[in-house]
Amino acid sequence: MNFNFTDEQLQFKNTVQSFLVDECSPDSIRDGWAAKKPFNHDRWNKIADLGVLSSNLPEKDGGFGIDQVALSLMIEEMGYAALPEPVAEQIFLINDLMPLLPDSIKGEIKNTYKTGSNFISVVHPLSPNPLFLNDAGGLLLFNEDSYQFALIEDIDFIPLVSNDPSRELSKINSIQKSVSSSEEFEKINSAVVARGALMTGCLLIGLAQKMLDLSSLYALDRTQFGKPIGSFQAIKHMLADVAVKIEFARPTIFRAAHSLLENNPKSALHCAHAKYMSAKAAELACKNSIQAHGAMGYTWEMDLHIFMRKAWSLMACWGNEDKQQDIIYKTLTSSEEELGVLYTF
Amino acid sequence: MKINFTEEQNIFREEVRSWLEVNVPKKSLLSLDTKEGFEQHREWEKTLNSGNWSMVTWPKEYGGRGLDLIRWLIFEEEYYRAEAPTRVNQNGVFLLGPTLMEFGTHEQKSKFLNAMATGDHIWSQGWSEPGAGSDMAAIRTTAVLEGDHYKINGQKTWSSRAAYADWTFGLFRTDLESERHRGLSFILVSLDTPGVTVRPIPQLDGEPGFAEIYFDDVIVPRENLLGEDGEGWKIAMATAGFERGLMLRSPARFQQTAAKLLKLYYKNKDQCSPMLQSKVVEAWAESESYALSIYHTASKMLAGGSIGSESSLGKIFWSELDHMMHQTALKILGASAELADSSEHDAAQWIKGFMFSYGGPIYAGTNEIQKNIIAERLLGLPK
Repeated sequence: MNFNFTDEQLQFKNTVQSFLVDECSPDSIRDGWAAKKPFNHDRWNKIADLGVLSSNLPEKDGGFGIDQVALSLMIEEMGYAALPEPVAEQIFLINDLMPLLPDSIKGEIKNTYKTGSNFISVVHPLSPNPLFLNDAGGLLLFNEDSYQFALIEDIDFIPLVSNDPSRELSKINSIQKSVSSSEEFEKINSAVVARGALMTGCLLIGLAQKMLDLSSLYALDRTQFGKPIGSFQAIKHMLADVAVKIEFARPTIFRAAHSLLENNPKSALHCAHAKYMSAKAAELACKNSIQAHGAMGYTWEMDLHIFMRKAWSLMACWGNEDKQQDIIYKTLTSSEEELGVLYTF
Repeated sequence: MKINFTEEQNIFREEVRSWLEVNVPKKSLLSLDTKEGFEQHREWEKTLNSGNWSMVTWPKEYGGRGLDLIRWLIFEEEYYRAEAPTRVNQNGVFLLGPTLMEFGTHEQKSKFLNAMATGDHIWSQGWSEPGAGSDMAAIRTTAVLEGDHYKINGQKTWSSRAAYADWTFGLFRTDLESERHRGLSFILVSLDTPGVTVRPIPQLDGEPGFAEIYFDDVIVPRENLLGEDGEGWKIAMATAGFERGLMLRSPARFQQTAAKLLKLYYKNKDQCSPMLQSKVVEAWAESESYALSIYHTASKMLAGGSIGSESSLGKIFWSELDHMMHQTALKILGASAELADSSEHDAAQWIKGFMFSYGGPIYAGTNEIQKNIIAERLLGLPK
């Protein structure tokens, strides 16, 4: 029993963290918004050069073979920076799912990479509006009982406007040509549902922490009644409440990642748990952060909303708190005898 | 990171479980806040000690087993799973014990830890005074050094377990000229000493879970001072850290409550709205999160880290969780939730637990004080 991270697990996190400090400032995100082109190819290519996009591919495919715990640590940092590019989606929903997919679809995806594209978007009933189709080479699409892969040129889609300008969404009208399969649908579907939950959970924890940090800095800086507002208990307690929520959500994402790594039969439950706790933490972080910022928090000018908007979107997709609660309840009551202290690990 | 139990840890769990299966009293004990119940619980402490289970993390020479924190958490899991009696000496074994381990002399450790392990010394806490609750630095009870002893005068209040306990530990002002945090000392006092008067205070459940302690020229030998004269505040903060953190409130109790709550809901769900289902899921999710977080903390400590203000985060989390769970149970019980002696659905137990859960956000430093600590020490906000 050891809940500490290895140096190897922390290595990519540290690399990504320092890269994003330099390359993903709020100003750079705003530039993407102004140009109506939030996907910054220059940044995406640099991230690819760092090895992040292939970090969890096996070494024989040119990757580093890092595990899901290391991925989670890294994705948390992407949340912290509100990185617009779908790096987390690519590595968690595509790379990590690849070994489970049938050869027919795996082959199509690999062929797409050969054409120079290194992003595949995903559609699922829990996340029905795909991200960045204009920048994707293909689309992996989950239906009620099958899944399919289509090349972008074979898809007819129209733009949708996200409340987060960092997220370019689309609605699929029709697909002319695709490779479809229902092989091991249950298994693959639950794998993508679990990964979607955990991925959004990791991003949300990063976002919640960022909002808390911004609020603490603002509360130190802003003066009213002749003192920094952070010296008032009303502000202190609001922010302390957020710190509590984050503290007790974070370990759930690492446990869920560890369960995926170990093929734990309860990984679906653990991923739902992680998203549930992270979404609650992020929800309170949004509410209390804007409150701590006062009227400034309600402006477009203040950076807070860059992070808040992303959090709102991520809370909603890949199963919101309500959906995760449902998964948890059904799992717990389907094995009622397995409750209590002995079933945590 | 490898969050599975090792073979050795599983063997240890089996050992704890088998011992508890044989030794946990089949019939539940009377409340520990009654005179008779208190003595029954003292007997249980002696039984625990006979199996060497008083405090598994203590060194062997002081009555422990010299085991690590993961083993301690496993022990607690089995303890709650077996529904073993509440530790009447929790002030001793969970709070003073670790404090003695850190600040005590060899003589103090031998004397007090062993007597604690055997159940011969049951401890109460002596922090608060009528004018010093959340503002503990306002302590006024004095201990004046006169040669080889201190002479204590003043009053403590809300002293947990003091109604029937043998000893109390707390902070006393040894430097009469001092103010606030300075000039306080951490002293151990036998409640048998002449000049000590204990007046029990009935709590919300009607039983005297705490008491007032009056000191009238009470003579205490100088060797009962823990640490240095004037160092009391620092030592008290360490004790409070243990109380807020993984020692006093290990996750197992909350996980067991959450499991019971889910079962209670499942049996009664036809009379409940979906709102309660959502609370029941929250209870499971939060108690599970608390356990994960504590294992995370224990791992950090085993790797040489320490916990400081982080224990304030946990104290808020478990106390709010405990209250929410009991509140939810009472809602599931419907109109039975007022039947204080009903055994149906364990109503009486839920009601008792419900009242007790109101104390959580108050004792060990109110949650408002914890939030100040978090804001100032973890978030860097100004005083």
